[in-house]
Amino acid sequence: MRAMLKWYEQTDNGRSGVISSRIRLVRNWKEYKFPSKLDEKESSEMIHRLEFGLKDLGEELSSPFTFSMLGDLNELDRVALKERRAINSSIADKKTPVGILLSENEATGIIFNGDDHIRIQALKTGLHLEGLWEQASSIDDYLNERFPYAFDDRYGYLTAFPTNVGTGMRASVVVHLPMLSQGRKFSSLIGEMGRFGAAIRGVYGEGEDNFGALYEVSNQKTLGQTEREIIDTVTKAAIQLTNQEMQIRKLSLQRRKVEREDEIYKSYGVLKYARRLTSRDAMIFLSQMMAGLEDGLIDTKEEFNVYRLMLGIWPAGLQKISDRPLNKEELDMARAEFIREELPELN
Amino acid sequence: MLCEKCKIREANIQYTEVVNGVKKEHHFCAQCAKEMDFGVYAAIFDGEFPLGKLLSGLLGIEDTEKGPDKLQQIACPTCGTSYSEFVKDSRFGCADCYSVFGPLMEDSIKQLQGSLMHTGKTPAYQRMDHISRDEDSEEEGSDSSRNELYELDARLKEALRFEDYETAAVCRDRIKELRKGNEGDA
Repeated sequence: MRAMLKWYEQTDNGRSGVISSRIRLVRNWKEYKFPSKLDEKESSEMIHRLEFGLKDLGEELSSPFTFSMLGDLNELDRVALKERRAINSSIADKKTPVGILLSENEATGIIFNGDDHIRIQALKTGLHLEGLWEQASSIDDYLNERFPYAFDDRYGYLTAFPTNVGTGMRASVVVHLPMLSQGRKFSSLIGEMGRFGAAIRGVYGEGEDNFGALYEVSNQKTLGQTEREIIDTVTKAAIQLTNQEMQIRKLSLQRRKVEREDEIYKSYGVLKYARRLTSRDAMIFLSQMMAGLEDGLIDTKEEFNVYRLMLGIWPAGLQKISDRPLNKEELDMARAEFIREELPELN
Repeated sequence: MLCEKCKIREANIQYTEVVNGVKKEHHFCAQCAKEMDFGVYAAIFDGEFPLGKLLSGLLGIEDTEKGPDKLQQIACPTCGTSYSEFVKDSRFGCADCYSVFGPLMEDSIKQLQGSLMHTGKTPAYQRMDHISRDEDSEEEGSDSSRNELYELDARLKEALRFEDYETAAVCRDRIKELRKGNEGDA
């Protein structure tokens, strides 16, 4: 039997250009000092009390959760979790004990003793901030029923960093903007979005280095707005950006269709037959494929989730597949092989 | 509004001066502001300012003459985070840090967040704590102690502004005492 699909393996044929949505909430348990001030013993004690308190969460949500201590995982698994967006880098690199409670499809996760005591994360492909918020909020209530939070009626949920105080919420949407981001006006567009409270950053780097043109749109502020207002801001920004992207693409189909078809088929050709691929090249060609599929310039025999491949081409994930450490050249070979195997035939 | 110094460029920096309790507002352009003597605050006008360092800049102390010695007298009684440590990392050590450093932080938080008032979700399963303002809520503890807390909070803030750490310490202790009392009543 095939293992349960991970969240990013599920396709969402909603809005073009929108890849995935995420809601993250941070909370602190009133009883303890914030993680930076806890020693190892206190950290472990708190994590295990939290874990024990949540032992029936899986039953409650009728989806099994797995608990692990990040320190017990090997380096590879830890990095792979980061590549799959289950944890962020500041947690992956932490030296003090960190607990992680993860649903089977990795869509829902709770991190204990990261920057804050509790970090709830809910992910889904497509544009679904509202639904994810409801999901995260009910987990939040479940936790709060057992653990009183550090909360102030004025500052809201108290967090280690003042950049998270208030709602403790970060709502983010990953969008694919291969053409819009090439335009000269892109940086001023980012500035404009900033004035509405939406921050935009490259998922795999800034500016020219963000190969694959995936961008994350998120709320800049966490205090003074309700969660729904924040979701509204981020959703609107994501829709606006993808609409602009689609307009440019529509224009490109009218003006230089052959050129675009040529680019996309060449990308497919490289992905299908290359024996070595750097992550940079893989991202660029996959990004071309993604746009080509959305614009109807190329058609695959089976449904093809490009984002799954984009998450799968990073070192830890590839090393896990080959079950041994790989040097750079071997990584490029493993990457090409992985893509070759996963890439469907064309119609 | 034009900059009140050069009267040429648009003023985009508002500077509030408090002298002997009298508040006066000034409006400068970034260029003039940079040339004026704002001490550590001047760093803010120098182009890009990374978020992490924002608070350090706003509260910046490391190189000032008054130095960490005097400021180190302020530390969170619960977690021991000192003022300089707090400024350096822009990170709170515990929930109580908010009441210790909160008054000093207000302007920075406002700048960072654009607001000082949480309007979102509230915990579903717990009795609210009230660190400071709570005019129209139902709190345990008498009206008089609530008013005193409010008063003390304001005095603490004022004392910290003027670096009067002795008064600040007295206020802080009294606030702690009162809160403990309130909890006991509950």
